[in-house]
Amino acid sequence: MIDIKMEIQKDRRAFIKNVLSGTIAGSLLMVIPAGAALDERLPEQIPGMRGDDSTFTEKKFAFVVDVTACIGCGSCCVADKNEYNVPDGNYRTWVERYIIDDHDEVFVDSPNGGLDGYTKPRTDIPYPVRDTFFVPKLCNMCEKPSCVQVCPVGATYRTEDGFILIDKNRCVGCGYCIQACPYSVRFLNPVSRTAEKCTWCYHRVREGLLPACVNVCPVHARKFGDLNDKKSEVYKILREPHVISVLKPSMGNRPALHYLGLRREVV
Amino acid sequence: MEKRYKSGDYAHVLRLAIILIVAAVLGIFARGMFLPDTMGQYGFYRGSDIEDQRNVTIRNQTNDACFECHRPIRLIHKEGVHKTVSCEFCHGPYADHIKDGKRVGKLPVKKGMEIKDLCLRCHNKVIKARPETSIKVIAMPQHLEEKKVQVTHNCNQCHMVHDPLLWIKAAYEMMGMEMKGDKK
Repeated sequence: MIDIKMEIQKDRRAFIKNVLSGTIAGSLLMVIPAGAALDERLPEQIPGMRGDDSTFTEKKFAFVVDVTACIGCGSCCVADKNEYNVPDGNYRTWVERYIIDDHDEVFVDSPNGGLDGYTKPRTDIPYPVRDTFFVPKLCNMCEKPSCVQVCPVGATYRTEDGFILIDKNRCVGCGYCIQACPYSVRFLNPVSRTAEKCTWCYHRVREGLLPACVNVCPVHARKFGDLNDKKSEVYKILREPHVISVLKPSMGNRPALHYLGLRREVV
Repeated sequence: MEKRYKSGDYAHVLRLAIILIVAAVLGIFARGMFLPDTMGQYGFYRGSDIEDQRNVTIRNQTNDACFECHRPIRLIHKEGVHKTVSCEFCHGPYADHIKDGKRVGKLPVKKGMEIKDLCLRCHNKVIKARPETSIKVIAMPQHLEEKKVQVTHNCNQCHMVHDPLLWIKAAYEMMGMEMKGDKK
């Protein structure tokens, strides 16, 4: 009691303020249902996705990887493995390390897909290194996907909003698509015996969350957004002057995955 | 006598027609039975798979989800230079910890030299491919020698892992010194 009295005497205005805000906060806690789902309490990462129950969204998604920012930490690979419980030895996304020596010879490695990070430098480079960088790889979500074209059972398909997905109930595991993909992003899941690949986290995107790898990237090397939204970062990158390119443009797949600052040596 | 060559018996044609019709009916029936209902709804795939794909469990959440409960660390982590580092990178996925609003498991807290390994995973200078504009890299053990501490020291003895410059900045402030360089 003495404490309260002292408090009041010290600063009457502040005390009333505290009591009032406490009351308001307390009553708010009662009004807001504590059991609201987590995704309703937290802010949307992709605007306008939550509550969109249409089969196909009106958006045109694009993925941008900034090669000049990637530090090869492998956060993306860890998040990806956690999100899907990807079997060991298979990778839905991985990070490659490129080393180019001054004789223009290119060395590429990706120990365990970058899942354990890069801890050791390569010692087998014969000449001084001219350039070295990391290149994260994932599904290119082609506009004209080779994998969809070859699937004999209609297990893989392209949604109208641009996602290439695999129906694991339809897939017979013939492996055609794995051979057809120019970017080698597909693998045969040894547990389910069906083809599997990166989905740009379709289930997260539809809930307004960024793909797991984009969400965890500490240097913001992976960017994801809607090209129909002129305020989005990917729109600004892809529609304004930047050094952008896609992998293997000559294959004619027209990927929706773009690379920022990509060197010509990358395949 | 042309009639002799015209047979009135079409039984063999009829038989063939019946076989073909039966085969067609069976085929259509089998197709209806084996193809999923929503096959071909939007294209040559099972339309209901889109719903299935949406229902895949989200296992990773955002840092904000963690901060809903872990308030004290939020104040430190959100303000520091490590604010872009995901909680789940070091501690594991949200889904292993919380399910339907209930705690279902304990996520690991890295201890001892695991911490050093984690730090060096990003900050090790020996990997030359890291752009300096993205990250501050240090060489080990030169960094420890330069700072005049024992080379057996662990990173978290000087650096608060959630905000690596928190204690450093405080120390500089106490000593009344300016921090050099672009350290934020």
